Amino acid sequence: MKKFLIILTVVMLCFGIAACGSGSNSKSNTGSSSGSNNSSTSGGSGSNSSDAQEEVTITYWYWADNSEYSQVMQNIIKEFNETNGKGIKVVGEEYPWNGGAYSEQLFTAKISGGGPDVAAFKLTSTPLFTANNLLASLDDFVNNWELKDDIDENLYNVMRQAGGSDKMYVMPWNTQILYVYYRPSIFEKAGIGVPTTYEEFLEAIEKTTMDTDGDGVTDIYGFGMRGSTGGQEPWGSFIHARGGSFAELDSEASIQGMIDFVNIFKNGYAPPTAPTDGFNEIIANFKSGRTAMTIHHTGSSKGMVEVFGDDVSAFPFPAGVGQWTSMGDTNNVIFESAKNKEAAFEWVAYLAAGKGQEDWTIATGNVPVSKRVQAMDHFQDNRFMKASIDSMHYAGILPILSTTTEWISSDWPNNIAAALLGEKTPEEVMKTLQERLYR
Amino acid sequence: MGFIGLGNYSEIIRDPLFWKALRNTFLWVVFGVGFQFLFGFILALLLNQKFRGRGGIRAVSLIPWATPGVLIGLMWKWIYDGNYGVLNDLLMKLHLIDAKIPFLSQLSTAFPSIIVTIVWQGIPFFAIMIMAGLQVIPHDMYEAADIDGANKLQKLFRITIPSLKNVILITLMLRIIWVANSVDIIYSMTGGGPSYSTQTLSVYIFNKANVLDLGYSSAMAIVLMLLLAIVAIPYVKSTFKEE
Repeated sequence: MKKFLIILTVVMLCFGIAACGSGSNSKSNTGSSSGSNNSSTSGGSGSNSSDAQEEVTITYWYWADNSEYSQVMQNIIKEFNETNGKGIKVVGEEYPWNGGAYSEQLFTAKISGGGPDVAAFKLTSTPLFTANNLLASLDDFVNNWELKDDIDENLYNVMRQAGGSDKMYVMPWNTQILYVYYRPSIFEKAGIGVPTTYEEFLEAIEKTTMDTDGDGVTDIYGFGMRGSTGGQEPWGSFIHARGGSFAELDSEASIQGMIDFVNIFKNGYAPPTAPTDGFNEIIANFKSGRTAMTIHHTGSSKGMVEVFGDDVSAFPFPAGVGQWTSMGDTNNVIFESAKNKEAAFEWVAYLAAGKGQEDWTIATGNVPVSKRVQAMDHFQDNRFMKASIDSMHYAGILPILSTTTEWISSDWPNNIAAALLGEKTPEEVMKTLQERLYR
Repeated sequence: MGFIGLGNYSEIIRDPLFWKALRNTFLWVVFGVGFQFLFGFILALLLNQKFRGRGGIRAVSLIPWATPGVLIGLMWKWIYDGNYGVLNDLLMKLHLIDAKIPFLSQLSTAFPSIIVTIVWQGIPFFAIMIMAGLQVIPHDMYEAADIDGANKLQKLFRITIPSLKNVILITLMLRIIWVANSVDIIYSMTGGGPSYSTQTLSVYIFNKANVLDLGYSSAMAIVLMLLLAIVAIPYVKSTFKEE
């Protein structure tokens, strides 16, 4: 019996030790996965505090353009959940962008009382959401945020402008900023350097227009002008360069910018197809060597490098009396209905200036909004990113009005074509554009 | 959003773009359908002759009609392209032009270019319909005319065309309605530009609906429907009379 009891005790101790062993292994696995991440962020104290705090769940809607980006976002969410140290758990819900149907779906969900706490967002939707009091103001959060200065003040202003008031409802996340593509070899042939002023830029357009084989027909046009839908963005840079603005398109300065634009075409410095050239045409013309310069963003840079290698570069649209370039945006918003807005802000701040910012912009090739991330070699060593980042302090958007969609899709291209083709004067066209935008 | 009664209709009357689109629609239909009819008639007469490989040529001639409108628009857009288009290339090689013509980017050439496209698309439809009509004309009528000493033109104007009257009328009516309503070719080629020079009423309606100005686009659609009814009513009336 004694022997049996001893054996039983030993066996039980062994099981006990084994049980302790497996228990400690289990803990150390969880600990090692979260602990190692924590060590890089909050020094390993995070897991203890998260145990102590009540877990807060934030639902987040976003879209991803492809399965790779989708995986990147899932990884960002996972990493945030593991490292935030505040017991915040983000639950990501992916919806297709579907040509903008995402924004409608988001609006329908929120207006009917459902939907997420936080969502990826386009600035153009801001008036609709603010008019229905769906968005939480972010001013207090941003003003008390230790990383506030990590984002250019101009971006905050753009976010405020979209809301149509002094309040900020949208948190910057990532952007695409228009810059000028150019061919260094053509610049060299024309004997010019990279323009640093608007006047030099106009001169460069003229000088890079060339008849290379002497047959009297232009072979290279200085500027790949976009006269079709979407062209209002590069066109806006010309208007602002003369001191004009979208607010006063019929001002003398705006008209002067328009005259410059029309003269580029009339003087034969842009392809004859410019009045109807859209994205595909300006990119194809640049890639085929038919144009020396054109305006677009980093979305096309990979294709440019594939064609030209080192013989393609970029510079910010130069300053004249004023300076402006167009900014495409993807941002985040916190909804008024979110129960824990502090936790929601932790998440949008992580995407705007934390590791989420790095991971997302590196994966998507979009331009980061965080100065810390912009300063990374990955972005500074890329000439197209550099041109985008250098343009960020004067980048902007078109006024978001109920008339903007029609103005962009119909009023602008047709009236610009009328000016380029001599059917109307620049003054008449600018007057019409002003009336149509603010009718 | 409030009830505005006939507000959209009074806006239509004041809208210069509506009148421009109406004028374009008229030209689009007259030239588009007119040339389709002319060339479709000629093609039908040719394909009604007996020759080797007639079946194959009849089948091939149907391709434009069987091709989706958007595809036709994109295809012709590339044919006309002012930088790399095959038409410019061909004209340059034939030394007919010195510099490439931006067909769809000029006010003088954009509208004729899209008319050529719709004509190309619609010729087979007229050809099929007229060919079907030709095949039911009794052959002894032509034999009798031959005995009477009628020449080819006399047979065409005295036998063929009168016998085809109903076929021609219904085909013209159908095609006028379809062409007036068509959006796909113009939209995919020019979107109505440059400077609204190719914007027909149906494209204007589509563009307005696209920016969610649904009230105004619906009002214009009603106007277009009433205009097309003017085309349809005489035919419907004559059909009832015959019955």
